[in-house]
Amino acid sequence: MIKVENLQKRVPMAGGELEILKGITLEIKSGQSAAIVGASGSGKSTLLGLLAGLDEASGGRVEINGRDLGALDEDGRALFRAEHIGFVFQSFQLLPALTALENVMLPLELRGDGNAEELARHYLGRVGLAERVAHYPRQMSGGEQQRVAIARAFATRPSILFADEPTGNLDSGTGGHIVDLLFELNREERSTLVLVTHDEQLAARCERRLQLDAGALVES
Amino acid sequence: MSVTASRMLVRDWRGGELGVLVVALVLAVGVVSGISAFTTRLQTALEQESHRFLAADTVVRSGRPLPAEWLDEAASRGLDVVTTLQFPSMVYAGAENMFLASVKAASDGYPLRGALVASPEPFGEPQPADRGPGPGEVWLDSRLFALLDVEIGDTITIGDADFRAVAAARTEPDQAASFTGFGPRVLMHYSDIPATNVVQPGSRVEYRQLYSGAEDQVDAFTEWLEPQLVTGQRLLTVEEGQPGIGSALERAESFLLLAGSLAVVLAGVAVALAARRFSERHHDYVAIMKSLGSTSRAINSLYGRSLLLLGAIATAFGCLLGWSLQAVFFALFSDQLPVQPGPSGVRPYAIGAATSLVCLMSFAWPPLRRLGQASPLRVLRRDLPLEQARSLVDYAIGLAAVALLMWWYSGDWLLTLAVLSGLGLTVLLGMVLALSLLRGGRLVGMRAGSIWRLALAGLQRRGNANALQVVIFGMAIMLLLVLVLVRTSLIDEWQMQLPPDTPNHFMLNISPAEVTAIEQTLRGESIPSQAFYPMIRGRVMVINGEELPAVDDPEVGRRQRESNFTWSDELPPDNRLVAGSWWEKGTDEALVSVEEEFAERLELEVGDTLEFLVGSEPLTAKVASIRALDWQSMRPNFFLIFPPKVLAPYPATFMTSFHLEQGDKVFLNRFIREYPTVTVIEMDVVVEQIRAIIEQVSGAIELVLAVIIAAGGLVLIAGVQASVDARMHESAILRALGARRELILGGLLIEFAALGLFAGVLATAAAELSVFILQAVAMDMAYKPSPWIWPVGGIAGMLLIGGLGVYNCRGVVSTPPVTVLREL
Repeated sequence: MIKVENLQKRVPMAGGELEILKGITLEIKSGQSAAIVGASGSGKSTLLGLLAGLDEASGGRVEINGRDLGALDEDGRALFRAEHIGFVFQSFQLLPALTALENVMLPLELRGDGNAEELARHYLGRVGLAERVAHYPRQMSGGEQQRVAIARAFATRPSILFADEPTGNLDSGTGGHIVDLLFELNREERSTLVLVTHDEQLAARCERRLQLDAGALVES
Repeated sequence: MSVTASRMLVRDWRGGELGVLVVALVLAVGVVSGISAFTTRLQTALEQESHRFLAADTVVRSGRPLPAEWLDEAASRGLDVVTTLQFPSMVYAGAENMFLASVKAASDGYPLRGALVASPEPFGEPQPADRGPGPGEVWLDSRLFALLDVEIGDTITIGDADFRAVAAARTEPDQAASFTGFGPRVLMHYSDIPATNVVQPGSRVEYRQLYSGAEDQVDAFTEWLEPQLVTGQRLLTVEEGQPGIGSALERAESFLLLAGSLAVVLAGVAVALAARRFSERHHDYVAIMKSLGSTSRAINSLYGRSLLLLGAIATAFGCLLGWSLQAVFFALFSDQLPVQPGPSGVRPYAIGAATSLVCLMSFAWPPLRRLGQASPLRVLRRDLPLEQARSLVDYAIGLAAVALLMWWYSGDWLLTLAVLSGLGLTVLLGMVLALSLLRGGRLVGMRAGSIWRLALAGLQRRGNANALQVVIFGMAIMLLLVLVLVRTSLIDEWQMQLPPDTPNHFMLNISPAEVTAIEQTLRGESIPSQAFYPMIRGRVMVINGEELPAVDDPEVGRRQRESNFTWSDELPPDNRLVAGSWWEKGTDEALVSVEEEFAERLELEVGDTLEFLVGSEPLTAKVASIRALDWQSMRPNFFLIFPPKVLAPYPATFMTSFHLEQGDKVFLNRFIREYPTVTVIEMDVVVEQIRAIIEQVSGAIELVLAVIIAAGGLVLIAGVQASVDARMHESAILRALGARRELILGGLLIEFAALGLFAGVLATAAAELSVFILQAVAMDMAYKPSPWIWPVGGIAGMLLIGGLGVYNCRGVVSTPPVTVLREL
């Protein structure tokens, strides 16, 4: 469960401060799927970064599964992410020096999971890449790379999955397959899914739609 | 965490991220340990060489017989022992021919260190001999054969005993290189002494006991012996009797240490640049790992362990490289070395490992440590600036480490200071010049064609980064220039010191009446000779009215001293006034010019009044000047020089030096028969030895220079690579917009060449400053400005950096732009 109260983000600028998020309050229940939508510069990615504990808020409060993220330091938030959170990014963010298998194993190894390889193989099989485990990201297409990223995100069985424009770098056909896979796995794993997107079709598949406009939430 | 450091290293290695970092570390360790091992081995060898000049490890000398128990004690301790006895004696051949010779008698086993050299006939081919003359035999100095009119196999007489001359004595390891009492040598066996009856109580003889063995045994024995020595008995140490190759080798060692220090600086800069680039490229990795739940501590620990592992591997390879470098050198030159190189021990490799550790900690770790602080937000926003706020602190740490390493390595703070001032000037000028020149380029660039506009825009856009790059390139080029300049002047100076026609024979005791005839004889044989110098022997008795003690102990500096005087109206070549002034030509004032060390021993200053005894005649003179001179010049040198009119009333003989090729030495037989009273001293063996050593050391210097140039090249590559990513990115965009290959490569060439030109000019200025401090202060050489390096520095910088830059960016025109943009 995600609980956000009066969340603010300001950044210093030459002529004063720029307010990116203007006191957001929202709640997303466990197992729900929610899409954050809005125009470019509306603060979608900033909100996602704060929800996932990648950035620090200027004011307000983010609580995930009962933990106040603001009370944790950088390393505390990292450990929290390792335990509870998975990511899928627009630009895949695979480590180029690692094979598909090693990329999926990485978060499991960071948690000290003894079954890292077995689990990684299982999830790569689940996204249809059982035959490509030894391949490097540069040897794969964009869709394949995003499937590796999805396998990596689910391998740690996170309670919450954040996705930042997961189809933004893919053509519509491939994007469609990726979205199907994402929702299918999400259902199976019963995780909460929060995604940022421009894609109205994708947003429509989520149970909730959170519209951002110039840093303020216009729930629809 | 099971993502082990080693796996990460393997992955990075596969990804080509570690190349420059590893090579820089390996080079740093290799050069430092190689040079250190090389100088250690050479030093050990020279120590052996200095033992050779004693013909033993330790020697006791006395004018009276030495206790035989000492020999027994030494033998019982497992040392080898030999006794020698040296005395002047008349040597006869038949009833008519006789000559005063300097006889040396030695027991079996002589010499314990080094070798005797003899030739089968007078002035023949010198050959090392296994042993000296046996009982009943003698070896005679080449010129004695002529003086006594004998040949090999003839009989000569010393005292009451007859001996057969079996060889010509050429050199002994412990032959004193002094002109005083230099009679021609006769070598005989120690057991023949009693039969001659020449050594009587009160005779002027010198007894020596020679000992040699393992170092600790010799040390223990010396410790036992020392307390038992009484007045007149003296223990000789290895420092004595060393010929004049010392200062050449000292300078060579300074040069090698300088080279090693520069290698450390260069490798340090390369390591720092490579680590910085590695860290920049790893920011995204770290952001991903952090977003996946890795803590800063875990990241730091991962990179820390990777670095240590990398350091260990690079150190091992570096030590191997260092070992190979010195091994290659000794393999190439061991035949020509006069001594066998000694062991190097483990110290050089320990120094190499320590260098690696310091390089890693102060150059590589600071940028890597910042990776731990990378923001995980970069996974969402790649445009976040990199964490570089503290790079000034990094530079300070790096500079301190460089200074410390150089000082520790060279043990010479002057040398360290010289290099650091050059580096400091490069940084200072670099920042000022680069920034102002780059800004100034804007106006010119506006009017230039598109290639130029592109290049100048590129230069200006990255103004700060470019200024830093100019400084780094400048530092590398400066260090290389310093090394080339010092090497060139060092080798030039050596070659000037011993040109091919360096005098290698001395002629003494020439009577005034013989001077013209001998000059003509030499000229007739086309033998180049130096001027003829008058020589008068006299004794310093009184300084400023205070009579000096008449002791004969070399340990005492201020005592009555016998010495050679000469006269001259002009300061001889190679002499330099250090105090006072030279007298006016033709003066009859009683003045004297004193050699620096001689003045030091007698505690003399300009203006002091000296009283001498020349024969039985008194002479009083005032010190007019103090001179420094080069004892290695092989020209006649004198402690005391007087105005000609002052010495005119005293009887003088003359001396000169000349050059004689090995093949022309038979001339000496004829010459000595014609002028039997003239003493000829052969120094050709010594001159050849000095020349050989200098050649080998020059070889070593060239070898080391080559390695350092490789290190400098590495810095240039690392420096170019550091900026390649940004330039590739921009070029890929231009390419995507349809820019032609020539435009992109031309723009890059101009941009890099301009950086190279700035760097080269800066480097040249800084190199001149460093070389000035190094030569004038640290290495005691004469400083000469080198105008030729100004164009060379600038043009070389332009070509090198321009070429390297275009080479490293060439991928941008052969790879599809989208691939370039995706990879970066």
